[in-house]
Amino acid sequence: MLSVTGLTKRHPGASRALFNALRFAVGAGEVVALVGESGVGKSTLLNCIAGLEDADAGEIRIGPDALDMHRLDEAARASLRAARIGFVFQAFHVLPTLSVAQNIAVPLLLNRVPSTEHAPRIEALLRRVGLDGFGPRWPASLSGGELQRVAIARALVHRPALILADEPTGNLDPRIAGEVLSLLLEQVREEHAGALIVTHSRHIAECCDRILELSPEGLR
Amino acid sequence: MTRLAWWLVRAQFLSRRTATALSMLAIALGVALGYAIHLINAAALADFSQAMQGIQGEPDAVIVARDSAGHVPHALIDEVARDEAVALVAPVIETRVRLGREANAARLIGIDLFSAAVLMPALLPREGGAGSGGLFDGGLYASQALLESTGLRVPEGTQSAGADTTAIRGESRWETRIAGDLPAVAATERVLVADIAWVQARFGPRQGVSELRVRLMPGVRAEAWRAAWAKRLPPGLDLRAAADNAARISNISRAYRVNLNVLALVALLTGAFLVFATQLTAVAQRSTQFALLGVLGLPPRMRLLQVLFEGLAIGLPGSAIGLALGYALAAAFTRVMGGDLGGGFFVAGTPTVVPEALPALGFFLLGCGASLMGALYPAWLNRVQPLAQALKTGFAQGPADSIGHRAMIRRIALPAIIASIPLLTALPAIDGLPLAGYAAIAMVLVVGIAAAPLATRVAFGAAAKTDLAAPLRIAVQNVIQAPLMAQVAASGLIVSFALTVSMVTMVASFRTALDQWLDAVLPAPHYMRSKGLPLPAELLAALDLPDAPFARVERMATGSLSLDSRRPPAALLVREIDRADPGTRLPFTGPVLAARDGAVTVWVSEALQEMQGLGAGQTLRLPLLGREIEVVVGGVWRDYARQFGAVVMAAEDYRALGGRFEATDLALWPRAGAEEAARRWLAGQAARHGVESVPSDEIRRISLSIFDQSFAVTHALEAAAMLIGLFGLAVTLAASVWLRARELATLAALGFSRAMLARAVVFEGALIALIGLTLGLVSGLAVGAILTEVVNPQAFHWRMPLRVPWAQVVPIALATLVAGMLASRFAARQATRLPAAQVLAGAQ
Ligand SMILES: Nc1ncnc2c1ncn2[C@@H]1O[C@H](COP(=O)(O)OP(=O)(O)O)[C@@H](O)[C@H]1O
Ligand SMILES: [Mg+2]
Repeated sequence: MLSVTGLTKRHPGASRALFNALRFAVGAGEVVALVGESGVGKSTLLNCIAGLEDADAGEIRIGPDALDMHRLDEAARASLRAARIGFVFQAFHVLPTLSVAQNIAVPLLLNRVPSTEHAPRIEALLRRVGLDGFGPRWPASLSGGELQRVAIARALVHRPALILADEPTGNLDPRIAGEVLSLLLEQVREEHAGALIVTHSRHIAECCDRILELSPEGLR
Repeated sequence: MTRLAWWLVRAQFLSRRTATALSMLAIALGVALGYAIHLINAAALADFSQAMQGIQGEPDAVIVARDSAGHVPHALIDEVARDEAVALVAPVIETRVRLGREANAARLIGIDLFSAAVLMPALLPREGGAGSGGLFDGGLYASQALLESTGLRVPEGTQSAGADTTAIRGESRWETRIAGDLPAVAATERVLVADIAWVQARFGPRQGVSELRVRLMPGVRAEAWRAAWAKRLPPGLDLRAAADNAARISNISRAYRVNLNVLALVALLTGAFLVFATQLTAVAQRSTQFALLGVLGLPPRMRLLQVLFEGLAIGLPGSAIGLALGYALAAAFTRVMGGDLGGGFFVAGTPTVVPEALPALGFFLLGCGASLMGALYPAWLNRVQPLAQALKTGFAQGPADSIGHRAMIRRIALPAIIASIPLLTALPAIDGLPLAGYAAIAMVLVVGIAAAPLATRVAFGAAAKTDLAAPLRIAVQNVIQAPLMAQVAASGLIVSFALTVSMVTMVASFRTALDQWLDAVLPAPHYMRSKGLPLPAELLAALDLPDAPFARVERMATGSLSLDSRRPPAALLVREIDRADPGTRLPFTGPVLAARDGAVTVWVSEALQEMQGLGAGQTLRLPLLGREIEVVVGGVWRDYARQFGAVVMAAEDYRALGGRFEATDLALWPRAGAEEAARRWLAGQAARHGVESVPSDEIRRISLSIFDQSFAVTHALEAAAMLIGLFGLAVTLAASVWLRARELATLAALGFSRAMLARAVVFEGALIALIGLTLGLVSGLAVGAILTEVVNPQAFHWRMPLRVPWAQVVPIALATLVAGMLASRFAARQATRLPAAQVLAGAQ
C-alpha cells in the first residue's frame, strides 16, 4: 500500500536533515505505529507522505499502481490524496459549518462518487462507528470522542488505500481513546487498507501490527 | 464538486448574514446608481434629439449666422439654390417673442410652407384642420405646450375663429390671431410657427434669414459638398451637418454625465471593498477548514475558485437587484423630476425610460466584475495558504516569500506613483474629460493606503517603547505589527474619509467662491430682465422720466456668438460699462488692460479662456454683426453662470461697430431714500410688461439654494462612505479578534480580565481609526485640491480658490473616531466571549 525509499527532509534554514534516506513499507491490511520523541519529525514524515510538504529526495509510492507522490505536481497530489489517503488528526478538524453527514460526504464528492451511493455508505459507516442517527447533527453538539469517530468515518468513506493518523487519540481521555483506536484498527483491517498511526501511547502502539520508532539516527 | 461548493457558500452566507447582505446591497446600490443615471441620460438625450429633429427636420446641411445679430443674406440663398447639387433650400427665420402678457417667451419659427413640407414636416399645421384653408395667412400656429400655458384657443371649424393675440419683441409688435396648432411638435416645446414673410416683415432681419437648411440631390456626397461650401462662406457664417446638433447637446452635458458616472463607480468600488473585507475575513476565519479540505484532496485551484465563486454569489444577485432598483429609480425620477439630473441641460419634458438589453447587460457585468475584483486578493491568499501550517497554526497573512517582493513594491512602485500624481494633474483634459485628473485621484488613494504601515510604525513606534498600561501596550503592539487585518480596516477608513473630506472641501470652496462671485456680479440692489427679449421701449422710456426713482441704471443686451461650431454658442453681453475701469463690474482673475482707442476691447469669461486658450492682451476675431471683427482681450473674468463662455463688450464699442443696442437686462440703483418707491415702481412695470424684476438679495438667495440643492446628494454619498468605512473597521477588527483567538486566550490565561481584553480591542480600533483618519485627511485634502484645481476647471471650466472647511472636517473626524471606537466594541464583545479554555486546548 505504501512504500517509502530514500526519503530525506530538511527544513529550509535547519542545520541538519530531520531524516535521511528513510526506507519502509506498509502492507495491505497492516497497521503500523510510528513512535518517537516530540519534535523528531513524525508529523513532518506524515505530511511528506500525504504530499502536504515537499521532501528533498526519495520516493513515496502509494496504492496498487504505486504512483510516486514525490514526483507529482500540487493538483495531482491533491487528487491522489483524495483517492488513496484518509487522514485523521489530533484536533479532529471536523468542518463546523457542515452537518455530520455532509462532513463524511466530502471525500465522496471529491472523488465524484454518484450521489445515489452517498446516503447508504454514510449510514453504514455511521452505524459501524457507533453514531447511528447522527447524520443530520451539527459538529458543535458532539463530544470529542464523537467528533473523532466522525473524522474516522470521513477518513474511511472513500475506501482509501492508506490511512494516516497523527496522534488521533491525543485529545481524548484514555477510555475513549481505547475505543476510538480499536474502532480505527478494526475498520482499517476490514477495508484491507494500510495504516500509519503516530502515537505517544505504548499501549496503543502495542495493539498495532508493527512499531516503527523515528529518532534522529533514523527508523528502527 | 459543485455540491460541495454550494454547501460552503450556503454555510458562509448563513454564518455571516449581515456582512453578506451589506456587501450585496452595496453592489446593488452601485449598479442601481450607475444604471439609473445611464437610463435617465439616455432617455433625456433621446427625447431631446427627437424634439430637435422634429423642429430642425433632416437637412443635409445647415447654414447659420455665427452671432445672434447676423443673418444669412438673400444673395447667398439664391447662390446655394442655384448649385446643381442642391435639391431644395428651406430658409428659416427664428426669433423669440412674447405672446401678450405671458411671462415666458416662445420660439417663433418662420418657414416657407413648400420647402418645409419636404424638410421639416413636423412644423406643419394640422392637415385639413380648421384655419388651414387660408394657409399661413398672417396667423400663428402654436404648439400644445404653448396653447396650454397661454390658454389661447385654436379655431374650431367655421364656427369660431382662433383667439386674437399679440406677438411682442422689443419695439416690434404683431397683432395677429391663433390660426391652428402644431400636432407634430413635441408636447413640451414652446413653439410658434408662421409664414417666413410675415415674421420677416414684423421682426426682421430685413436683408436675409437666420438659417438656411439644405437638402442635396440624391447621390451627392454631403460631406464633400459641405467642405467645399464651408470654404466659400463669408466669415460671419457657419456651415454644419444637422446631425451635429444631437452631438452638440450630447457633448455639452457629457462632462456632467461622466462626473455622475464616476460617482456611481465610486459607489460600486465601495461595494467591491465590502466584498473584499467580507471575503478576506471569511478566508481568514476558514483557513483551517480550507486547509483540511486541501488535505482531503480538494484541488488547489478550487481553493481559489471557491472564494471567487462566493464573490460572484454576492455579485450576481446584487447586480440583478441593482438593475431592478436602477430601473425603478430612473422611472420614478423622470416621472417626478423630468430628465435633468441637476446639470440644467435637459430642463423640459418627461422622457420615457427605455431599458435596452445591451446597457443592462453591461451594468450587470460591471456589478459582477466589482464583486469578483473584491474577492480576487482573498481568493489568491486562500490559494497560497501552506496547508500543513494553516492546519496547525491557522491563517497565514501572506506567503513567506512575498515579503521581499513587498519591500520592492514599496521602494520602487510607491515613489513612482507619488511622482506620477503631479504629472497627471498637469495633463490637459482628454476630449473634454478630466480623465488624467480622475487617475490622479485614484493614485492619491493608492498612496494613502500604501502609506498606512509606515505611518503606523512612525506614529506608534515611539509609544511602544514607553511604559503603557497592559491593554494599551497589547493594542499598540498589534497595530504596529500591522497585520493584514489592521491594514484592511485602516484602508477602508482612509478611502471613505478621503472621499468625504474631498467632497466637503470641493463643495465648500465652490460655495465660498460662488458667494463672493455673487457679490461682485450683483452690485445693484435691483435687476430687471426679459429672458433674452429686448425690453419694451415703453419701459425704457419710463426710466428716463424725471419721476423714475433711480439714481443710476445700467443696461445690458444679451446675444450669442459661436466661436467653435462643435460647442454651443457663447453669450455676448453688451453692457454699459466703464471702458477704462471694467473692474468695478467684472470679477477679474488676472491683469486688466486699459482699453486702447481705435481697438475694440472685450473681456472674456474663464470658460472661454479655458476653451479657446485666450489671455489678456491677445487679439481675437469675433463673429459680430454678421462679420468677423478683430478685438483685443482686455482681461479674463470669473463667470459661474455661463458654462460655455461669455464675452463682455462696452455698449459704445458695439454701437460704433454699427450694432443696435437693445437692452434685455437692467441693473438699477434706487435714489437714496426712495427704496420703497423704487420697489413699487418696479413691481408695477414688471406686471405691465410681463418682465421679471428681482432684488439682488433674492437672486443671491435663490442661487445659493439651487447650489445647495444640487450638492445635497454629495452629503448622502459622504454618509454612505463613512458608514461603509466604519462597517469595514468593525468587520475586520472582529475577524482579527477571531484570528488571534489563541493569543487572546493565552492573555486570558496569563491573567488578563475580560474587561482588559475588551479594552485592548477598543484601543486597537481607536488607533486604527486614528491612522485611517489622519491619512484619509491628508489624501482627502489632496483629492479635494485635484477636484477643485483640475477636475472642475477641465470638466466645467469653473475655477475657484481652495478652501478647507475645518469647521466641518474636524467634527466629522471626531464623530468618526467615536463611531470607530463604538464599532470596535462590537469586536471587543467577541474577544470577551472567546471560550478561552477550548481555544487553548486546540479544539476548534
Ligand atoms: N515549517 C517549518 N520550518 C522549519 N522547521 C520546522 C517546520 N515545521 C516543523 N519544523 C521543525 O521540524 C521538527 C519536527 O517537527 P514535527 O514533525 O512537528 O515533530 P513531531 O515529531 O513532534 O510531530 C521540529 O523540530 C520543528 O521545529
Ligand atoms: Mg506532531
